Amino acid sequence: MAETSNPSSNLELEDEASSGTYAPPKAGTLGTPSVIVEDLHVKYHVVGARMKQPTSKQDGALAKFLRKGRSLTGGHTTIHAVKGVSFTARHGESIGIIGTNGSGKSTLLKAIAGLLSPTEGKIFVSGIPSLLGVSAVLMGDLTGERNIMIGGLALGLSKKEVSERFDEIAEFAGIGDAIYLPMKTYSAGMGARLRFAISTAATPDVLMIDEALATGDAGFQARSRERIDEIRETAGTVFVVAHSQATIRAMCNRVIWLEQGQIRMDGDPEEVTAAYDEYSKTQGKARQKRKS
Amino acid sequence: MARHEFLRVLAESKAKAENENTYLGQLWAILTPVLNSIVYVLIFGILLKTRAGMDSVIGFIVVGTFTYGYFSTTVTNASKSITSNIRLVQSLNFPRILMPMATALKDLIVLLPGLIVMILIAQVSIATGPGWSAVHPERWILLIPAIAFLTLFSSGLGFLLAKFASRMPDLVKLLPFILRVGMYASGVLFAIQHQVGESLIRQVMEHQPVAVYLNLARQAVLSEKSIPLDAGLWLEGAVWAVVVFTIGFVAFWRDEARYGRD
Repeated sequence: MAETSNPSSNLELEDEASSGTYAPPKAGTLGTPSVIVEDLHVKYHVVGARMKQPTSKQDGALAKFLRKGRSLTGGHTTIHAVKGVSFTARHGESIGIIGTNGSGKSTLLKAIAGLLSPTEGKIFVSGIPSLLGVSAVLMGDLTGERNIMIGGLALGLSKKEVSERFDEIAEFAGIGDAIYLPMKTYSAGMGARLRFAISTAATPDVLMIDEALATGDAGFQARSRERIDEIRETAGTVFVVAHSQATIRAMCNRVIWLEQGQIRMDGDPEEVTAAYDEYSKTQGKARQKRKS
Repeated sequence: MARHEFLRVLAESKAKAENENTYLGQLWAILTPVLNSIVYVLIFGILLKTRAGMDSVIGFIVVGTFTYGYFSTTVTNASKSITSNIRLVQSLNFPRILMPMATALKDLIVLLPGLIVMILIAQVSIATGPGWSAVHPERWILLIPAIAFLTLFSSGLGFLLAKFASRMPDLVKLLPFILRVGMYASGVLFAIQHQVGESLIRQVMEHQPVAVYLNLARQAVLSEKSIPLDAGLWLEGAVWAVVVFTIGFVAFWRDEARYGRD
């Protein structure tokens, strides 16, 4: 069982419990750091794309033709998705990550999971991240059954272990007979539930979840909350990427707000989600103004 | 992580998926090679008559096209294995070398029913030419090392191309042209020694690895006077296989950290 490193963090937990908005799992306590991110920058290259160049109406036909030709060949762009992010996550924490679209949430989590290399900065993870949660893609042409085997093997289970847990995984995902159909025929929610079921089959040290989980029925929601609590009790860390305030408040005891690749706020779910709400509203108003 | 299990499941699943979304399903595994051979037999065996240096024209050509086709498909698929599965590669953590290995293994699995068809057609071709006495079933077992060497060679080449293709995706577009040249330079449709005069070029053409593998496959399955059992060529085949596989594997492995992460 993980130990708290100082008495004040214990105090924070008790405050949240008494305020009634969040109920921490009984046995889990904030522990030693599980993920440390130091000044992380992630850039990636896209071959074949070129940003649109400003045009000038005075150009002659030849210039326009050349510019058009140029935009179609030899393109290569660099996208700076994460611009200097630092934080420390602890065992037993459930951290929500919010931000507008394109703010770098998935990129950040992929980097923590080891799927993307940091361009600059360092990441330390204690244990093995379980990666199927965040916009992951298994093999669409293959059946759910096959993908369970592939995903399970990739997460470190043996063939035997995956077969043993197959029924449990299938039941947890709650997609019924669709498990024998190709995954490309699944709805987004079905895919997300199956991926979540696979990724929690091996009790992971660091789990990442995406919001499509909110699409399950009440039974599924209850099961996933239980599973997440189990993981935190065994001193795992959970990251939740979400847009819905309800999901965040229900699942997380800490929220990080990522905006355009940088951390805007990091702390109490209520505070951060309130600030984010404000921000979205002002953005919305500004967009209305531009339109009219 | 159980790498060999992961490799096998990936390869088998992909092999199955090749024929899955059709009414006839896995029957296509046999139908496809049969239909291909019918085309070659019609055009090269019947429309264009005899060729110099071939006792059984149809057999010669069918073995050539099946073997070269296997080489060509394996190399092409392995070179594209990372880029065409990029979303899987970016979602799961596994040693990237398993991706081209899985596609190579899958191409081998897909080849097997075709090999049976190939052997049958070759024997019929011999029987209707030189006669049943020229059929040597004891030699068929040589097909196993021949295909094994070819698999190692093609995989090695595939790994090398996969490594470069991930930096320079344009390479994949060039590959079909290179493979077409290879087809004409490897004696798939004609016997090199009878079409190319004695010269350095002929020596090079006969000893380049793909021509060697075509020759080995023909040694196993046909009985051509111009293609006797030749231990020297088997040694050459083995050496090419081991050398190219090692070079390709090491070259790919050294860049492990980079695939899908750029």
